[in-house]
Amino acid sequence: MALHRSHSQHTDKVIVPDTSIPDPQQLRAWLAGAARRDAPAFRALYDATSPKLFGFALRILNRRDLAEDVLQESFVAIWNNAGNYQGHLAAPMTWMTTIVRNKAFDALRRADQATEIDGEPFAADVANALHDPAATPIEALQLSRDAKALAHCMSALEGLHRQVVGLAFFHDLSHSEVAAQMALPIGTVKTWIRRSLEKLKLCLAQQERP
Amino acid sequence: MNLRDKPVLREKLAAEYVLGTLKGGARRRFEGYLHGDAALRRTTAEWQDRLVPLAEFARSQPPHRRVWAGIERRLGLRPAAPAWQFWRSDAPHAWRPLALASSVVALVLAGLLATQSLQTPQHDYLATLTDDKAQPALVLAADRDKQLLTVRVVGGADVPADKSLQLWAVPKAGAPRSLGLVDPNGDVKLALGRAIGDDVALLAVSLEPKGGSRDPNGPSGPILYKGNWVRTL
Repeated sequence: MALHRSHSQHTDKVIVPDTSIPDPQQLRAWLAGAARRDAPAFRALYDATSPKLFGFALRILNRRDLAEDVLQESFVAIWNNAGNYQGHLAAPMTWMTTIVRNKAFDALRRADQATEIDGEPFAADVANALHDPAATPIEALQLSRDAKALAHCMSALEGLHRQVVGLAFFHDLSHSEVAAQMALPIGTVKTWIRRSLEKLKLCLAQQERP
Repeated sequence: MNLRDKPVLREKLAAEYVLGTLKGGARRRFEGYLHGDAALRRTTAEWQDRLVPLAEFARSQPPHRRVWAGIERRLGLRPAAPAWQFWRSDAPHAWRPLALASSVVALVLAGLLATQSLQTPQHDYLATLTDDKAQPALVLAADRDKQLLTVRVVGGADVPADKSLQLWAVPKAGAPRSLGLVDPNGDVKLALGRAIGDDVALLAVSLEPKGGSRDPNGPSGPILYKGNWVRTL
């Protein structure tokens, strides 16, 4: 069955390589499978998305044990709520990522420790591409179509503005926390974020057009 | 404040809600607006589709296999190996009738939640309680605005006439808190009380004598169903 292709090998070893970008239609089919309590479909969904989701949780939490707990809790929630997924409202990856993000931020608050926040929230290759798409083409990155479109638009922002958006998104920071982190006045941070979001919206709308 | 005729502000709040910079009271107020405003929910969903792909900018990393083992254990799924047995169409499948029955349940569940979210928009917490075979048995929806908890038994539970089902919030430390009795054949609305909170580790339903557990400190009968809250949005 084509749906479960990733399981045709011995499952213990199957780790979908980074090169495979899950197709949204396929993810939708697997999610619908999970809603029907189809365990193999759910496993296929896990194999296809867990490296990305785990990488994201790890980026937020900086701790492997916490990130593993969060991933586990998230997939339990995904299984239990797959029937509640509303395809017309959100892309499957958006829905799953939002669950992971909320759980990771909860874990961060529970852990009640100052997590290390380093300056660059993005992976090195992505950061390079955002900084200079001519030198490191965005098309060559292992990203989904949506993420590539976003990367194009992020690369058009000024470096510091990009940084501010990334800090807020990955580290659950408020305006004033971002300001403290970057040693900037809070008014500046607010303005940069507002303008960056406006620009991203405009840029993404243009990308959608052929 | 009325948000309806302020398109620029709606857009800004939705974007900052998704980015995460909308915090504290402003965040809670925004979540309040989301309850009664389908267009605002759509605007927010659009911002989620725009910004959430940022998550992919982190480096992909395969998790250790113990994570999947834990998921499988918690959900009572069959072990994955040997994997091919699951979809070999010529092999006999003891689990097929079960899967079929539960897919009906899942459909009912999806329908129920879809209807609910149309009528009383956006419950901010949902929970599905499952039996020991990971089959969904109860759906809980919390409305923090109205401080109401709606509990529906999916498909009806077989409860003897001299027994009751009782719902509990089990905290990480201390005694379980009774949330009330559950109607085995329909819906019941309960006060939200302390059903939601950082300290709630588990929601559970126990089988009790008619009228509920005589023990003020917790269930006296067996736990039939359990599950946990999932924050929606």
